[in-house]
Amino acid sequence: MRRLLPLFSFLFFLTLLLVWWVDSRQPKPVELIPTLTGQPEYCITCHADLPEISASHPVETFGCVSCHGGERLALDADLAHSTMRGGANPSDLSVAEISCGGSNCHSGSEADDRDHIQRVMTSVQATYAGAIASIRYTFGAQTDLAAHFGIAAVSDDESQTGIKSLDAFNPAIDSNPMLQKFGENCLVCHLHAKPQEGEAFARQTGCAACHSTGEHTMSTAIPYTQCNACHNRGNYDLRTMTFVERTDQPTSRLADYYQPISQFTKCEYTLDCVDCHTRDETMGDGDIHANQASIQYVQCKTCHGTLTELPLTKTLTDPNDIVFRMAFLNPIMDLKLGDTIIVTEQGEPLWNARQLPDGTFEMVGKATKQYFTFRPVMGTACEQNPDQQESNYCHECHAVEK
Amino acid sequence: MYFFILHLSSFILFPMPPSFFHHLHPPTIPTAQARWRHTLAAGGTAIFLMLILGVTGILEMFYYAPNPAEAALSVQTITYHVPFGGFIRNLHYWAAQALIVVSAVHFLRVIFTAAYGHPRRFNYLLGLALFVVSIMLDFTGYILRWDVDICWPLTTGTNLLKTIPVIGDFLYRIAVGGNEVCETALLRFYTWHIFGLTILVVILGVWHAFRVRRDGGIAVPPPQLRADVTRIPRDELVRREVLTMFIVSIGLILLSIFVPAPIAAAMSVSIRESVTESVDVRAPWFFLWVQQMLKWGDPFIFGVLIPSIILALLALIPYIFPQPNEAEIGSWFPKSNRLAQIIVAIIGTIIIILTFINR
Repeated sequence: MRRLLPLFSFLFFLTLLLVWWVDSRQPKPVELIPTLTGQPEYCITCHADLPEISASHPVETFGCVSCHGGERLALDADLAHSTMRGGANPSDLSVAEISCGGSNCHSGSEADDRDHIQRVMTSVQATYAGAIASIRYTFGAQTDLAAHFGIAAVSDDESQTGIKSLDAFNPAIDSNPMLQKFGENCLVCHLHAKPQEGEAFARQTGCAACHSTGEHTMSTAIPYTQCNACHNRGNYDLRTMTFVERTDQPTSRLADYYQPISQFTKCEYTLDCVDCHTRDETMGDGDIHANQASIQYVQCKTCHGTLTELPLTKTLTDPNDIVFRMAFLNPIMDLKLGDTIIVTEQGEPLWNARQLPDGTFEMVGKATKQYFTFRPVMGTACEQNPDQQESNYCHECHAVEK
Repeated sequence: MYFFILHLSSFILFPMPPSFFHHLHPPTIPTAQARWRHTLAAGGTAIFLMLILGVTGILEMFYYAPNPAEAALSVQTITYHVPFGGFIRNLHYWAAQALIVVSAVHFLRVIFTAAYGHPRRFNYLLGLALFVVSIMLDFTGYILRWDVDICWPLTTGTNLLKTIPVIGDFLYRIAVGGNEVCETALLRFYTWHIFGLTILVVILGVWHAFRVRRDGGIAVPPPQLRADVTRIPRDELVRREVLTMFIVSIGLILLSIFVPAPIAAAMSVSIRESVTESVDVRAPWFFLWVQQMLKWGDPFIFGVLIPSIILALLALIPYIFPQPNEAEIGSWFPKSNRLAQIIVAIIGTIIIILTFINR
């Protein structure tokens, strides 16, 4: 006993030393108090090496937790990550309203053009309403071509298209095996559906599907490769209701547009998709549309005009014009009050296409920052009938050899 | 705490005049009954664990915020940001778990050495009450985490009170402070944990220890029936106690370093909603056996009545079962109280089996 006591008091002292040693080896917590929340968070203790998500979301202002959720004080990875919204992607549509929404952020009013989440939720990119209607019609599950179903149920009482709501498409209740296969194989690219496993279907979800252009990066300068995560990855085989992955290895931007029989003009593959296609077309306009054709409207003539008409333009007179907001987010052009830019027939600005004093136009690629100039069709040698303006007519003369 | 131990050890290593601590012990105690293999050091360890719980608990109170919005976050602050806070919290947790185990061992020792007979019958009841209050302290402490994992045990645990006829609703309102479990319950549980139950434990604990001395120290046969009449001085007893404290401390410290106390995410919504989101629907380990029974049927019968009957049966052991033979008091597994031993063994085995079924 008299020998045990000193021994155990020594062992006891050793365990106290062990406590101190283990404690001294813990990483030093790195605190961040974002100005928006005022609440300390310790995420950057481990995540200091992540790039800033975007210039519009500086980490000093937003921190991590306002978008990602998670346990801001925890230094144990499992606990810290346990309540993160949407796993690594807080913009997944299941949580986007909490992560990205809010009236001060991306669920603002339609009048302010800040209703981004509502637009995406009801857009054909998310609902796939047109294809579902066509396929159900083709296989006898409905008698008309009208859109009744989306991948998820959506509703909008103020929808201007006449379609106030879509029910959730449930292929399991259709007895036709083709419809079931369609449900299994063909919804996965669209935003309300869960991406399928496999390389060919690899895409991000929610807002990030388009806007996340790199690791922990959100941008409005969206290169065509981002669109290609879904588009141009292969083709559907309607006889087997399967998706056939493309097998070629594209070596140029032209070859990267994959539709074996398609033709392209130089501008179609030199520019990025977002240089011509607008917010309403890509994200939706807030209404529920029946199909892609009902929302996609930009054509060659939008920028180039026809033999009889110049492209529509607008001179910027309002400092609060949304154009300045868009140019601020992707500052490729020094737009000023008094500048004249091209607008679409629906009034959407193509703010990166500005009229020059001589009546020609300059354009800067949103993602490539390449500088182009072009002139209107009017007054050129073009002989195209002003009533025939679909791209296939233009391709007859202007398509490039593949 | 450890200054206290070091202070004590100085008594052992260097001769010093008897202190207050020495005088808490009887001048001499019987050699046979002072052995480790007799006492299992359980009663003393329980007191030591309560001291640790008191000290670590007070340290936690410096940071713990007993309001629903901050409680779980303050636990995370303690765990991750207060210097040695995680270690102190782990110590508090492991001391509390160990207290349940050690108290149970102490109880079994008393039963299996027939140490509860007259005049110790009342002290046996005090000990049983201490055990029950310790479990309630453990449960209330568990609830104070106020994170997503406590929702289910809190809801079921308190709903059990409602099933009690006549006084159930009244007890429920006392426990949670309203008609349903919501934010008021946290302050209730906090006050019970820090103040109500702790005061009870201190009073019952001091009374229990006082009655040990008053009832003639550790249970032994009368002098004429003892095989071994030798006694050891209290210095030796104190030495053994200090050695026990060192061993227990080393064990607790190692556990606290390597096995962190459970913690979960803060509740983002009210309890009622969190219950549906909560992943962990298991009761704290010392109630797993009750939870297992709750799967069988009526919550009043299985959740309240049967545990109460078990408790009543245990409480009545010194009163309704044959008294142990005087010559056998203080020896292991005496023949004269076989019935009590068998009943406790059966109940204990069933509780352990139920616990493991529900793991």
